[in-house]
Amino acid sequence: MGNGFLARGRWWPAVTISIALAAISFYLLLVLSNWFYLGLADTVYFFSQPRMWQRFWLTVWTSTISMSLSLVIGIPAGYALSRFSFPCRNLFASIVDLPIVVSPAVIGAFLFGITTRFPFDLISEHYNIYIGRNVYGVLLVQFTVTCAFCARLMKASFDMIPPKFELVSRSLGASNFRTFFKVVLPMAKNGILASMIVVWARAAAEWEGLMLFVGASEGETDIMPFAIYLDWNGGMMGWVTSMTIVCILMAVTAMAAMRLIGGKSSVW
Amino acid sequence: MMQKISVLLGILILCAPITALSGDQKALLFHAGVGQRSSLNEIKAVWEERHPDQKVNFSYKGSGYFIADITRSRQGDLFMPGEEFYLLQAKERGFVENYNPETDIPAYFVTVIITPKGNPANITKIEDFARPGVRVGLGNPKSCAVGIWHEKTFKKAGIWEQVQKNAVLSAKCIPELGNAAQHRAIDATIVWSTTAVLYLRDVEIIPIEHQYRGIIRLPVATLKFARFSEEAEQLKAFILSPEARRIFHKHAYSVDPRIPVDEQSFCLDGTTDRDMGHLVNAARAVKDESFPVTAETVGDLIDEVERQRKTLRAGT
Repeated sequence: MGNGFLARGRWWPAVTISIALAAISFYLLLVLSNWFYLGLADTVYFFSQPRMWQRFWLTVWTSTISMSLSLVIGIPAGYALSRFSFPCRNLFASIVDLPIVVSPAVIGAFLFGITTRFPFDLISEHYNIYIGRNVYGVLLVQFTVTCAFCARLMKASFDMIPPKFELVSRSLGASNFRTFFKVVLPMAKNGILASMIVVWARAAAEWEGLMLFVGASEGETDIMPFAIYLDWNGGMMGWVTSMTIVCILMAVTAMAAMRLIGGKSSVW
Repeated sequence: MMQKISVLLGILILCAPITALSGDQKALLFHAGVGQRSSLNEIKAVWEERHPDQKVNFSYKGSGYFIADITRSRQGDLFMPGEEFYLLQAKERGFVENYNPETDIPAYFVTVIITPKGNPANITKIEDFARPGVRVGLGNPKSCAVGIWHEKTFKKAGIWEQVQKNAVLSAKCIPELGNAAQHRAIDATIVWSTTAVLYLRDVEIIPIEHQYRGIIRLPVATLKFARFSEEAEQLKAFILSPEARRIFHKHAYSVDPRIPVDEQSFCLDGTTDRDMGHLVNAARAVKDESFPVTAETVGDLIDEVERQRKTLRAGT
């Protein structure tokens, strides 16, 4: 009987499925053990604290703004990299890849360089503020990290659309501009929505750049991942555990949304 | 269409800051060690209430990050790292405007032994760390100040070799040691009193005898490129005032202006004994609901005990 099992080649799906299940149960165990550690009474306590939700909304709105900005730059840039040939195109394409490959910590360190240079020095002088030490610094770090990432994802989405549709559109007399908005964008819609979520999640998970460039001010710049680090340092394991649970719920929601919205197109 | 709307919204929100930033509020930038967060947040609340025209923005980081930050950004009004060493480093590079080592120490860390709940290895004194089989947690002296103190203390006791053999953990930062004791990964370690107080429910606190009890100075200074030097000086003076010292005391710092120490910064007399007694009682009080919590038993740690009694896992 074992022979028949092997002969029919069922062992291969069985092996792969059990590996997948093992991996999934490992992750489930991680979440559940954390939740058990916290206990029900403490879960209720921490989840009802305004501090938790204030940090949650801070994370949500900063990530949303930096995602929107990244899209403004990323969509046209991705389109250009995907469709047009211009001098140094390959060089630009690799530069766009850089923030994905390079650690965000490096980006945080680099950002120091510009805040003391023109025109930022004049702005900070004029308004008597420290650029980058407030919530705008958070947005700057998130934007820097996600913008190129977004352009990269957009390029991939546009690459998947055959150029012949645009050719047809233009041969029928539509302008470049009209073609882009009426033909290309609608076709890339799923890809754009899916990458929006990925970019959003990337912004919400940003931490190293913040650690170096912004530093944390309670209630102002401590988005979720940073808050977890701070509270871990303060020995507040209850906060750490409950916030990780919120983060995981956030990630699960984002992924489910991605499935629902962009299920038909793959981002990677 | 949706895209266009979100784009417009984004740009609008981004334009808002320029007007918002030009308000009259003076925003001070305060570089502070992440370990001082709870007490400095309280001080900030008091300060901002009294000076509505000012705002204190903290840049909490691990102390090791500061020199790079300040060198690169040349920003900041005040500086309060978790060890005098980092401040002297900044002073050497000419970043510090005003620091007087005689007077500018608002608070001190004191070293204590912590063990998991129930003290499984029955640790009572420094010499017990050398007993075979005791799992000791040490700090890595390259990345955290407490590691330097481990080496210093055990060398003074003449048991450094044996303790190193017992070491099962080389921590990169001090909370790692607290967490290890909390989760029973080690049998004993030495941490600051301010770290120990965060884990009252899950650890036992054992005061160290005077000759091995380390006193760590916690300095505050104003910086050369301060944008609001006058306000920074005032805030510094407030941090050194008895009122702010009391806030530090509530978080288990020792705040006596003069603690007699030897040249290695080990304690010479019983100035900190009372604080140690309160800390030990606080650890009992959180575990045992029937233990009386009064100014007599736990001193200024009352709030901390009440906070930790509220939840099973620590929070604020």
